[in-house]
Amino acid sequence: MKSLSKILLIYMSLFAYTCADHVDYEAIEGYQITADVYFQSESDYEAALIGTYDPLQWLYLNVLIGDIASDNSLCGGESATDVIGLQQIDDYTHYPANDNLKSIWQWLYEGVNRANYMHENKDLIEFGNKDALYAEVYFLRAYYYFQLVKFFGDVPLFTERRLSAGDSGTLVRVPKEEVYNQIEIDLQNAVDNLPNSQGQIGRVNKYTAYSLLGKVLLYQDKFSEAAAAFDNVIGIYSLVQDYGNQFLRLGENGPESIFEIQYTNTSNWWDWGCPQCSEGNFGIIHTGPRGWSGPTYAQGWSFNVPTEEFYNSFEDDDTRKNATVLDMVAFAASTGASYTEGYEHTGYYNNKYIPRAGESGAQTELNYLTNYRAIRYADVLLMAAEAYNRGGLNDEIARDYLNQVRMRAFETEPEYLIEGLTGSALTEAIWEERKFELSMEGHRFFDLVRTGQAPIKITGFIEGKHEVFPIPQQEIDISGLTQNPGY
Amino acid sequence: MKKLIYIILFSLTTMVSSIYAQNINGNVSDAESGLPLVGVNIAVEGLNKGAVTDFDGNFNLSGVEVDANLIFTYVGYKTLSRSISEESNLIILMETDLSELDEVVVIGYGTQKLSDISGAVSTVSNEAIEASSPVRVEDALQGQASGINIISSGSPGSKPTVLIRGITSYAGNDPLVVIDGVSAVIDDLNSLNPNDIQSVNVLKDAALASIYGVKGGSGVIVITTKSGKKNSKTSFTFNTSVGTQQVAKTIDVLNATEYAAILNEASVAAGEGIIFSDINSFGLGTDWQNQVLVEAPIINHSITASGGSQNTSYYVSAAYLAQDGVVGGGHHSYFDRTNFTTNLDTDLNEKTRLLVNTNYTNIKAEYLAENGINSVLSNALNFDPTVSAFDQNGNYGISETITQEIVNPLAQIANTYNENNTNKLSGKIELQYELMSDLKVTSRLGYTYVDIYSKNFSPFVYYGVGHNATNANSDLTPIVTIDGEGNVTSTHNRVSESYTNYFNYTYELYANYDFNVNEQHNFQTVLGFSIGENKGDNITAYNEDIPFNSWSYADISSAMGNAEQQTSGSWQYVSRNLSYFGRVLYDFNEKYYASFTGRVDGSTSFGANNKFAFFPSASFGWVISKEDFFDSLPLDYMKFRASYGSLGNDNINPQFSLISTFPSYTFNGTIVNGSALGSIPNDDVSWENQIQANIGLDTRMFNNKLGLSVDYFKKTVDDLLFSPNLSLYLGTPYYPTTNIGKTESSGIDARISLNTSIGGLEISSNLNFTTSENKVLEINNGDRYIWGAGYGIPYTSIVRFEEGFTPGYFYGYATNGIFQSQDEINNHATQSGAAPGDIRFVDVNNDGIINDSDRTKIGDPFPDFTLGWNINLAYSDFDLSVFTYASVGNDIYRAYERNLNYTNRFASTLDRWTGPGTSFEEPRVTFVDSNNNRRASDRYIEDGSYLRIKNIQLGYSFPESVNNIIGTNEIRAYFQVKNALTLTNYSGYDPEISAGGVLDTGIDRGTYPQPRMWSLGLNIKF
Repeated sequence: MKSLSKILLIYMSLFAYTCADHVDYEAIEGYQITADVYFQSESDYEAALIGTYDPLQWLYLNVLIGDIASDNSLCGGESATDVIGLQQIDDYTHYPANDNLKSIWQWLYEGVNRANYMHENKDLIEFGNKDALYAEVYFLRAYYYFQLVKFFGDVPLFTERRLSAGDSGTLVRVPKEEVYNQIEIDLQNAVDNLPNSQGQIGRVNKYTAYSLLGKVLLYQDKFSEAAAAFDNVIGIYSLVQDYGNQFLRLGENGPESIFEIQYTNTSNWWDWGCPQCSEGNFGIIHTGPRGWSGPTYAQGWSFNVPTEEFYNSFEDDDTRKNATVLDMVAFAASTGASYTEGYEHTGYYNNKYIPRAGESGAQTELNYLTNYRAIRYADVLLMAAEAYNRGGLNDEIARDYLNQVRMRAFETEPEYLIEGLTGSALTEAIWEERKFELSMEGHRFFDLVRTGQAPIKITGFIEGKHEVFPIPQQEIDISGLTQNPGY
Repeated sequence: MKKLIYIILFSLTTMVSSIYAQNINGNVSDAESGLPLVGVNIAVEGLNKGAVTDFDGNFNLSGVEVDANLIFTYVGYKTLSRSISEESNLIILMETDLSELDEVVVIGYGTQKLSDISGAVSTVSNEAIEASSPVRVEDALQGQASGINIISSGSPGSKPTVLIRGITSYAGNDPLVVIDGVSAVIDDLNSLNPNDIQSVNVLKDAALASIYGVKGGSGVIVITTKSGKKNSKTSFTFNTSVGTQQVAKTIDVLNATEYAAILNEASVAAGEGIIFSDINSFGLGTDWQNQVLVEAPIINHSITASGGSQNTSYYVSAAYLAQDGVVGGGHHSYFDRTNFTTNLDTDLNEKTRLLVNTNYTNIKAEYLAENGINSVLSNALNFDPTVSAFDQNGNYGISETITQEIVNPLAQIANTYNENNTNKLSGKIELQYELMSDLKVTSRLGYTYVDIYSKNFSPFVYYGVGHNATNANSDLTPIVTIDGEGNVTSTHNRVSESYTNYFNYTYELYANYDFNVNEQHNFQTVLGFSIGENKGDNITAYNEDIPFNSWSYADISSAMGNAEQQTSGSWQYVSRNLSYFGRVLYDFNEKYYASFTGRVDGSTSFGANNKFAFFPSASFGWVISKEDFFDSLPLDYMKFRASYGSLGNDNINPQFSLISTFPSYTFNGTIVNGSALGSIPNDDVSWENQIQANIGLDTRMFNNKLGLSVDYFKKTVDDLLFSPNLSLYLGTPYYPTTNIGKTESSGIDARISLNTSIGGLEISSNLNFTTSENKVLEINNGDRYIWGAGYGIPYTSIVRFEEGFTPGYFYGYATNGIFQSQDEINNHATQSGAAPGDIRFVDVNNDGIINDSDRTKIGDPFPDFTLGWNINLAYSDFDLSVFTYASVGNDIYRAYERNLNYTNRFASTLDRWTGPGTSFEEPRVTFVDSNNNRRASDRYIEDGSYLRIKNIQLGYSFPESVNNIIGTNEIRAYFQVKNALTLTNYSGYDPEISAGGVLDTGIDRGTYPQPRMWSLGLNIKF
């Protein structure tokens, strides 16, 4: 019996020995790529750069809020509780627990982390054009951080590496001046290393970087530096003749487009669990007419509806009036279309970003191809005008830039030329022009805050509080960050 | 001289009779049934002489002395001793041994007499299973075994939530299932034929479950299937039942006239005009629930054959179950299961035994959307009652006003097409070798192979212009649009086909050695190891443009979509484990017991730094009734048990820093693929470490007629596995599960059993009581909670797993009546948008403003306690069994109300607020709900306590004379009602609600109710 037991014991331990690696597991068994084997070739870097562009496509809420929070439009939607986070922002009753603000915060930081992950792995191999490739990375990081400071003011700042689980709860908010400083450093790097033009439509170039740099400087009231940055862009782009056309599919990536976030309807996306993961623009369905049956447009969720007051504030000769706002009552009457009225129905829709028939695919709500025109040349002209004017540099140049924009809008009717205005009167005119030129494109709220007009123009806006949005409650709870004043 | 001769003759005969003795013939049969017993051992006491009964129960023994004692032994029967008188033909009747004392329990890698167990176990016998004629195995467990809570859904084939002794983890609470020694999961119960089951044992404490180590943390359900008896004639059983199912209760919603009136009022309240000018023209309208709820048949047949020769025994069975859904009917909702089981047991030689169990199952099923916002029941409850089921042209009626997801439920049923076909082969091949007396080596390979094919067809559907779900024109042609540039796009119908395969195997090698020292110290030991692998993979393909928009043509091969429309996906996983285990069971004179068990588990799931874990346990038992002092007590038996040990849970996946190639962006108008870091690992992740303690007492009194078992348990889980909530500034990568929490559960399970007879009436009854109190002690997870399930659009989470609370509680606003006036609103904490008639929410944190921070615990979906009461009566040829189950203290969150402007509302709306003093519960109706009355609040919480008579079965066994004529051994006919009666205050269909999982229990999204089921059945043995 003893010998038998011994044999058994030996057999079992032998078996066990050969099996010791039975419980090891390698990622390759699931056909998964691990980080250890990545960044071995230039194509890995290219792919990671595309991954860094990717979160740009998620930022539809940033665009919607830029107008919903302003005096242009109401939240709309199906009911008073439809996307309650946006409703509250519209009504100025928003508070730190807000799912939409949480998404914005987290998605922007994902962009930052992806850029940082590339920065962290920068020196693994060498290849040509590496500096130009990284210039795009730093541009994107600057764009994400700029959105963060615009929305939240002081925010955690980190640039060296992608954060890991162990970093959770270890960061604090830094003054927004420091964040702006980093944004400027990144954009300067981008300006220095980006080419004048890119082979692929959608990639940023030197002028994109100058334009964003100028904008960032303007947001800090650094007028002369801003003007200098914009000077590099003036004359490189041009205004398209027909204002409204640039918002159509045909007008995408046109001569006026400096920075355009790219979407397509071909990703065949069906997953409601991650609507922003589509290559389509999920923001578009939000602004569509409710229960629509008619030509040209497609049905949507009736969010971000322009107010009547805003519509009527346009001069009748202004070609931007109907290009910006769709008078649904008139359109339906002339075409026989029908629709249902949503919450806060005004009869008006955002005609710049609206579902247009046939421009989506698969799950149609998720796949609209409509690009977001983030920086247009007209915007740069007006920002440059403002920098020249408010910086006391040259009001003549400022008026010239302003009039370029107006002449396009009023089909070169000379009576609409602005002449002789200087100083703060000119400033007012430029600001007013920004409203007509850029409304319903996600800029209005930030312009009103930046220029100090928000407390006067926006009902419910409390000075000293609503300039920034609250830090998401979940982040306060987890990370112990301080909250913005008043929230 | 003559006298002398007599004396000699007498002496001779005496000599002859004392030397040659006599020949004895006999027959052994079952005392109750009269059936012959085959293979009964007969030994002549004190002599090395004996016999075995043959197929007819006959035996003969030659040369047995007149005064000899014969000992009859037979497994499962009371041992009988009989002294021989001069008769030569013995009729022996043996009685079955029903005493619980000697019930043998399968405890994992061995068996143990129930009376010897010092851990906590619940057993459900074959008789109890037969009495309930379950459709599913878990039906037989609910309330029959103490310490186990089962919450099931009425949907054919759906998986129940099974909790053994409370909730300890937020994930992986499914107990381990072991079928004939082979590891399986709860989902596998679905494919078992309940008729094949011999016994179900639930291992509840660490002492018993720790032999299964890391897998045993949520308890173990040990299922043993039937086998044949050696040396027995083939016996057949045939069971059949046919029945019908129906939903016992409908929910009171508004009829068309009421709906129109309420909508008019809501519209006017929002400052708009009335919607319906003549509300009386609608009448009652369409009762959508009536339209979709049907009587559905259920049939169940099975046939078995079992028996054995001298060396081999066998059990074979075939079964068929067909159950149609009560929601929507069998055309689009059914569950058909076919089983074939073969269990073979053969002695290869004197020392070697081979067991081969094979079970093949085929399941064919079609499902309708259930338990969610898009479910048929949700549509039936919320759809517009003014719409007719069909319009004048015979098309499904459509709503002009509802453009959200809600559709005509009949159209939804008609437009649902899917097909699911599962083939499953599972079983084991086991060799037992008797190395020497009492040392047995077992080598066992258990396997499960599953192959699932499914197909889904999304046809062109038309629910009205501008409806969210509409993807076609009213004539079901695709919607074609042409944009400004002349590009043409079109909608498509769509088909998907998918194949999924699972293959799991476990190989185990172990040795059992039983011995005793000095006849007093008894040892049962086992030592062995186990190695296994679980694998799964899937491939799915999609295509569009199915000819004729027809299910008949719906297939990838016939779809006409181009290369861009054809898409595909796949996934796969593998996990492996390697374990060593051992156990020593000890008793001293069957009076004092002790056990030591341990298992070392290694798993691919664990982090690189923590590959192996050790789970030890120990137990102690004391049969107090064997002590001398006990004789003075009026009890027949008493035993004290205690155990302590550790268990685990490894419900996690292997972790790596993974590059995701999912991110992509668009350049030049086309998609370019990119990459990003997709997940960040935790190399230190390990098992959940669970410490369990158990104290129990078993006693019997009144001549063993009344039995009582009580157990108290306490479980603490350290290193709870969680997906962590990390700082949002880390971005969106997947942060895998990590060990960051602690929970505690404690409770009592008790069982009272009664076995007696009054006159000819035999009574057996048992009452099970189960309670557990659960608490989350610690979550080191940033904000100290994680969200569970929710409901609605937009999705609102209402379940939390939070430090300091019970796991999975409901979280939302507390309400406090209705604002009667503007003054009242002004005096209340700031509640933006509130108007008179709106709900007054409670300012829980007293900061003068009502916002998200005021949300609080509003309910708990888990019961305070559950009761199961089973009574079986037998009188003459009749038998009656009634099973009642009660769950007390569980809350339900009513989440099936959509509350959109044009959806239907519930009858309670009729009592709404219409002016000061008109209502203090039901808010006003308005199209502009600026107060957000519909936010998640205790308004939707209801007490879900219920008492339900789950099963009534009345049977009649035909007398022997009938059996003799037909040639059967037994014929029993029965009438059965399942879910006969439910007493509850809950307003929904069914208070028993589960979507599976601790963090998704008790939310009624239009749950699939458990139908009431009437059936007639027949059991025949021959």
